[in-house]
Amino acid sequence: MNARYLARQSAQAIFTILMIVLLNFLLFRMMPGSPDRVNPRNPNVTVEQRDAARARWGLDKPLIPDQLVAFVGSTLQGDLGYSIKFQGQPVTEVIGDRFGPTILLIGLAELIAIILGLALGAYTGWRRGGRADRIGNGLSLILYSMPYFVIGMPLIIIFAAGLGWFPTSGMLTAGASYAGPVEFLTDLVSHLALPLATISLGLIGGYSILMRSSITETRAEDYIATARAKGLTDGRILRSHAFPNALLPAVTLIAINLGYVVGGAITAEIVFNWPGLGTLTVDALDSRDYPVLQGIFLLLGVSVVLANFVADIVYGYLDPRVRQ
Amino acid sequence: MSVVPVAPVDVRGARWRLRLRNARQFARRYASRRDGVVGAAILVFFALLALAPQLFVGALQTVTTATGGPLEPPSGAHLLGTDEIGRDILNLTVHGARVSMVIGLMATLITILLGAVIGIVSGFLGGRSDQVLMRLTDFFLVLPTFVLAIVLAPIILDIVGTDAELFGIRATLLVIIVVIGLTSWASTARIIRSQTLSVKERMFVDRARVIGGSRAHIMRRHILPNVVNLIVANTVLTFAGAIFTETTLSFIGLGDPFAPSWGQLLNAAQQSGAPGLGAWWYIVPPAVCVVVVILAFTLVGNALDDVLNPKSATR
Repeated sequence: MNARYLARQSAQAIFTILMIVLLNFLLFRMMPGSPDRVNPRNPNVTVEQRDAARARWGLDKPLIPDQLVAFVGSTLQGDLGYSIKFQGQPVTEVIGDRFGPTILLIGLAELIAIILGLALGAYTGWRRGGRADRIGNGLSLILYSMPYFVIGMPLIIIFAAGLGWFPTSGMLTAGASYAGPVEFLTDLVSHLALPLATISLGLIGGYSILMRSSITETRAEDYIATARAKGLTDGRILRSHAFPNALLPAVTLIAINLGYVVGGAITAEIVFNWPGLGTLTVDALDSRDYPVLQGIFLLLGVSVVLANFVADIVYGYLDPRVRQ
Repeated sequence: MSVVPVAPVDVRGARWRLRLRNARQFARRYASRRDGVVGAAILVFFALLALAPQLFVGALQTVTTATGGPLEPPSGAHLLGTDEIGRDILNLTVHGARVSMVIGLMATLITILLGAVIGIVSGFLGGRSDQVLMRLTDFFLVLPTFVLAIVLAPIILDIVGTDAELFGIRATLLVIIVVIGLTSWASTARIIRSQTLSVKERMFVDRARVIGGSRAHIMRRHILPNVVNLIVANTVLTFAGAIFTETTLSFIGLGDPFAPSWGQLLNAAQQSGAPGLGAWWYIVPPAVCVVVVILAFTLVGNALDDVLNPKSATR
């Protein structure tokens, strides 16, 4: 890995993050609700009071550079302001509380989808044109066309409302007290099952389609013909020659997708009322809680940029040709 | 020795014959793709629904013109049951086709226009302009577009107000269209740019430059026709993505309750607790429509991509 490539990628990542912070700053100025815009129409507020408010929030200073510097400074210190909806709780705390459930749900879902999706894609690509391919690829395309809530709502109707196997919403039974860790875990797993299935199904299509096209390209390579000529079995060629080489584009997609883990499945969380960042986003949206929305945007932006950075580095490590 | 009369060359006629032959060839190759044909048939069906929903199910039902009781299961009077305020689900779903397709179409047009112009200009001009435009493209490519859309939509709405209108389309829907368009052009620009880079090295571009064609003229008359295949295939795939995004944005509550798209219907179903009540008739029709339309666009887009771009046919 050469230093020049690393430096270029880092510079690009830092540049993008700065652009995101800048965008966040500008969005913040566009929102309704500044003392400048509300107060002049209100007879109960004197000019002095308005100016005092402006001075208190630093709005009397020029937008650039003073306000921008103050904004970037506090953002870098981890101060994202205060939530409107959650009675002035710091945005970082509000977001932090919802972080765990989302990571648990989407992390597990990614794991399942990666394993199943790559396996399905490799198998259908290897048997391209056969019946297994037609069924498998058709299934992938259908899943790829389904938003999470379109998968999740029927699952609730069948398995929660209909058969009553799983609860319809939440992460734990409300107000339940647990006799021990086993009961707690059982409750958690039964709540987790349907949302987990929803997100896994939603992710499998993309991984499978990518892996299928990648393995189809690999299949035409000379070293596959060589392996065949050596008399290796079909399964062996797929496992130790085609699969590892076809994995390369998949690795990039996985790394990029991990950036979306944090905000990934907003709609799935809503359908199951999962107490994660997705439901927080929509709650903030409904109550126009802009500081929280901005905090989420920043968090997601930065994690996507970092994931892309990691993807580039991993790709450059695995495939020396892109380093130039 | 007599002079043999030379028949005047019919340039215009020859050009039309060539176009006709190309079109026939394209139609023949496309017709051999069964998935593409099925997808196209589905899209024609939904386009008809979107063009004249009132011919099939009458005017859009509202609270005051609702014809049934709340959440009735399917019956002879209401083939697909009713929603929580007694409106006929079949009626709502057919009218939803219009809203979903119109938003998808307009968002796609914005996306493709931005992507094609930026891609061609960036690739053809090269140098400093290329660098600036590609930095911008990279930024939009990396940006979590969906979250940006969520943040952007309410801010724009609060500024322009929900009652504003343009071309008879309400502000709520316009905001969705613009937000999808602004946040999804980057990948199109990337694809068009790379094709432009290879087209501009071809001999006819040099010839056009030698006889004094301006840069704008060359881009319009020589580059554009050679990337148009790519644009067509990309448009259809973008359409699928636009409907997907529209459905999701409407589902989380950014849609317009007075012009319900399929995503908006699913949002209403979720809000009224239909999944927990087992009211499958409220959810299945719009959900099936969304999936079938997105799938159809994907099938047509892939088929077009293979037919129009010989390079990708091997995939």
